[in-house]
Amino acid sequence: MNASPTPEVPAFQRSRQARESEITLDHITDDFDGNPAAMQYFYDLFRRVFIQGEALPHEGKLIGTTCIQAPDELIYAVGATPVRLCNGSYHYDQIGADFMPAKSCALVKATLGMLHSATRIPKTARPDLIVNPTTCDQKKKSSAMIEGMGYAVYDLEMPNVKESEEARLYWQRSVRQFAHKLREVTGKKLTRQNLKKAIAKTSRAQAAFRQLHNFRKSSPAVILGKDVFLITNAFFFDDIDRWSDAVEKLNAELTQRQAEGFKAAQRKAPRILFTGSPPVFPNLKLPVLIEEAGGVVVADETCSANRMLYDMTAVDEWLVNDMVDSLADKYLKPCTCPIFARNDDRKRRLLDLVASFEADGVVYQALAGCQVYEMEQKSIAEALNAQGIPMLYVETDYSPDDQGQLSTRIEAFLESIKTRKRKAAA
Amino acid sequence: MSRLGLYAAALMALLSTTVHCQDSGGTHRAEGGRPTGMAMRGNVLWLADSPPARGDGPPRSGMGGMGGMGGMGGDRSGPPVKRLWLRAGADPQKSGFAREDTEATVDMTLVTPQGKPEGEPLPPAEEGKKNLSFEMPTQGYYRLYHTTRKLQGDTLAIAVAKAEVTNFSHGATEEERSVALTAPRVLEAAPIEIVREKNPGEKLSFQLKSGEEQAFVVLQKGLPLLGARVRFVSHDGWTKEAVSDEQGRVSFQIVRDYFPSWDDFQKRFKATYLVIAEASAAESGRFKDQPYTNVRYQATLGGTYYPSPDDYRSYAWGLGLGFAFLLFCGTAVYLYRRRRVKPFQEVRFDEKH
Amino acid sequence: MRSIRDAVNQVHFNRFRFWFQLAAFVLFVYGGYLAIDLGSRLPFFSCGYNQEGRAGVCYLLPLQHQLGRPWPMLFTAAGLSILTGLGIFVLWFIFLNKGWCGFVCPLGTLQDWLTALRRGLGIRYAKYSHGQFKQMTKVKYVLLALTLLIPLGIGGGLWSHDLSPPFCLICPARMILPAFTGDFSQFTIDFSSKTAVVMTALGMMVTALFVVGSFVKKRFFCFICPMSALHYLFSKLALFRLKKDGDKCTRCGDCYRVCDLEIKEIADEVGKRDIMTDDCTLCLKCVASCPEEGALKATFAGITIFESTEAGFVRRMNKGHQP
Ligand code: SF4
Ligand code: SF4
Ligand code: SF4
Ligand code: SF4
Repeated sequence: MNASPTPEVPAFQRSRQARESEITLDHITDDFDGNPAAMQYFYDLFRRVFIQGEALPHEGKLIGTTCIQAPDELIYAVGATPVRLCNGSYHYDQIGADFMPAKSCALVKATLGMLHSATRIPKTARPDLIVNPTTCDQKKKSSAMIEGMGYAVYDLEMPNVKESEEARLYWQRSVRQFAHKLREVTGKKLTRQNLKKAIAKTSRAQAAFRQLHNFRKSSPAVILGKDVFLITNAFFFDDIDRWSDAVEKLNAELTQRQAEGFKAAQRKAPRILFTGSPPVFPNLKLPVLIEEAGGVVVADETCSANRMLYDMTAVDEWLVNDMVDSLADKYLKPCTCPIFARNDDRKRRLLDLVASFEADGVVYQALAGCQVYEMEQKSIAEALNAQGIPMLYVETDYSPDDQGQLSTRIEAFLESIKTRKRKAAA
Repeated sequence: MSRLGLYAAALMALLSTTVHCQDSGGTHRAEGGRPTGMAMRGNVLWLADSPPARGDGPPRSGMGGMGGMGGMGGDRSGPPVKRLWLRAGADPQKSGFAREDTEATVDMTLVTPQGKPEGEPLPPAEEGKKNLSFEMPTQGYYRLYHTTRKLQGDTLAIAVAKAEVTNFSHGATEEERSVALTAPRVLEAAPIEIVREKNPGEKLSFQLKSGEEQAFVVLQKGLPLLGARVRFVSHDGWTKEAVSDEQGRVSFQIVRDYFPSWDDFQKRFKATYLVIAEASAAESGRFKDQPYTNVRYQATLGGTYYPSPDDYRSYAWGLGLGFAFLLFCGTAVYLYRRRRVKPFQEVRFDEKH
Repeated sequence: MRSIRDAVNQVHFNRFRFWFQLAAFVLFVYGGYLAIDLGSRLPFFSCGYNQEGRAGVCYLLPLQHQLGRPWPMLFTAAGLSILTGLGIFVLWFIFLNKGWCGFVCPLGTLQDWLTALRRGLGIRYAKYSHGQFKQMTKVKYVLLALTLLIPLGIGGGLWSHDLSPPFCLICPARMILPAFTGDFSQFTIDFSSKTAVVMTALGMMVTALFVVGSFVKKRFFCFICPMSALHYLFSKLALFRLKKDGDKCTRCGDCYRVCDLEIKEIADEVGKRDIMTDDCTLCLKCVASCPEEGALKATFAGITIFESTEAGFVRRMNKGHQP
């Protein structure tokens, strides 16, 4: 860290953003027993960054990304640092409401609001370039707005269909163009060495994530979902190597826990698979509510966690051209984002996750105004119900107002799962 | 097409000149099947694997081969059968069937790989058939000796016409083959015989090619015969003479005498050569109760040879075409790749840094 | 047992395959010098024209000769021998399935070496577009049909013997493999007849094309190889198989990414269990680069011998890690 920790700024701490973050973090740390010791790194990180407003250092140019489809590896390779700008703060959501129609996605609004604010938390330097993949309509339209705020924005063109070979080639071409753009911005070329190293950096992080992910298969659970969401949210802005170190440390602790037969949740706790719009700190409302109500989130299919880190790059020939195309493939082909025309892969992915994590039910979060998730809800529910898997569909936003109503619904859902299990056992 | 034909023929001629020149020195044309090189009384008898009327030429689906030639089909039920014809005349193409000579005595001995080394009499030919035939049930060399003895004044003429047929089909085991390959190819009892010397590195599927050197050994009762006059007659009747050395050895370069037009050229053209060895000795004895004071020995051996691949195969053209096309394809790929980058403004990366 | 299995699944697959292919190449190109003879019904290009070194003969050579017999003979015992020959070929084939291509075929190995050369020079590879791929993949059936029909025509006296054996005359292995034992006699144009000129010239051109093609395109020749087409006719019987568990597949495309034959189905098809397509060489590179536990596996007579694992993937793909 090159910037020394900023001394506490009382005025900031009293800000709505900081208070909001503090409430969430307190829930995460205090409402549960037996948090892993290695989680302390992440608790501290969030406290420093979101509550104390500590500035985040970075190397080289800073490249903001608004979606997991922007290849981090290319950014690392040219010596720049990526930071994911997707925001989960209600405070910024309200600021961002000026840019978007009232019934729009909170995440997009919050991101716009954050970029518009004088104090951007997480407190990074001003991004030298913001990469905005052309995913959903709301994100697409924010490009011009972000540009209007004085940022340099690059539209990373994404196809609407991902199965066809044409789409694949189109996307590969887009990614190459992006690499070209990065070269313009940073003045650095991709080489075999720097790209290989960058891929190694992310694949180390991915391997660590996968290990963590696999621990969640164990029953009873050795780690809670709220912690995992916190960890993957840290990936948005934390130094990648430090992040990997911390996750590896946690994995070591979990190995031990598993051997000791530790229970992070009750044996009978309903196991929940979380899907839908991404929970982004501090909006971890829904996963925290589930676990406070006695469930355990054992897996997820969201772009702030699993989808961001799970799929790994395979390279056949370690030449620049092949590595870049491989990266492009990895970002497009396994993606289960609902912006694509079809969602078969998402259904299959959910079913596989339910099976391999022995989930008892699925909670589907849709941020109000996020049309694509809202529209896919029905087909996903049908696919799950056909297999006898119950699904709770929750439409929510960043405001804390619906907490009471949500917890009632969640409790009822968990209760029904328990009843089913009892009946099945009898 | 005709132009191409001419061109190719010229090319072939060009490529084969070497073979040609070496030979032309010592060979000359025999007239009408009557060799002029040496006084030769009576006809030369020899064993051929084709009857005269049909002439020679492209391969036929006959079984077995002569002169170290294999080529067994082997898919017919029962052992392969080899047929040979006794012919008279020193020109492989023009010699006709041998006429029966009542004054002469004839012996026919067949030596087979599985039989006794001294051979056995050949089973009599089927009624009305001109050819001599025998079965070849095992792998190896089969030799047929046709010996005639005839008194001419005070001279006994002994003529041994010999044929060597190989039978190596694919089915044989390694052991069978090696036994067959190392078995002796000489008949101890033969008053005179010619043995084709195997070339170094000769394989089972050996084919003699024009332009190659081939040695023969003249033996008398299994021992080398010095000073025998040996004549080589090519398919077209070119002859060349030599005298055997102490080892009974003579060596000839197989002359190239096949010059058809390009359209008629056949690379599998099977040509027949004939080797004749003669010697006389002042030996006296009695034959059919008649005394003689001289013996004239004559041995013949027929064989086949083929056009040399050098006559029709060209490395220069093969490699030239290969390289030219390699360059062409390489350039095409290179240009294609260069061009591809343009219309789409493709971004490609430099692998070096 | 478990640890053996892990060791196999985490093997550095490309390295293993390189050595295996090298050993097979030496065996089939030089084995003849050690008097190894595995017959003449081998289901890959152990070229019969490599007279000295071959340890067995590619089945296409005797097959074309057998079919080229005079027609009446085809209906006698000779016809039967064609069937027994085919039987032996199938027996060889079902043992390794197309794995003969991915691991043993000397011509396949040579293509991989040319690929390695290109990679070493830092030249990117070429790809077919999807449309081209669909066209190319049919060529091998056309070639197979010609390989079988032309000899029949020759046997029936329709065409000259100079056309026989038709495929061998244009097969690049005829020039290239004997060259490895110092026999360059096939690098010639045969001027003995017009047919021979055309066929040998074609042969030389195909050889040149083979060299350029497999330099820029991985397994260029295998797309059009008639042996590969012949394989596919019998692949249902094979013991060695490529299996996919579609439920475990995320369609991440990693397998497709590394596939030398650009087989899209390997990633996209999630319904079929038997995933081997007609172009596949069963090189198992896809299995080695699939990150999902058990999504792809190679089985022999129903027993899994190599399967995709997360740990194996991470181990194999960690090129950039500093030790
Ligand atoms: S030339 Fe080709 S097809 Fe013929 S035997 Fe050789 S490898 Fe087989
Ligand atoms: S497909 Fe390729 S590897 Fe298989 S036999 Fe043909 S050339 Fe050999
Ligand atoms: S690599 Fe594995 S998970 Fe990915 S597409 Fe292929 S089979 Fe599916
Ligand atoms: S599908 Fe798999 S085994 Fe078949 S060729 Fe492609 S990578 Fe090799």
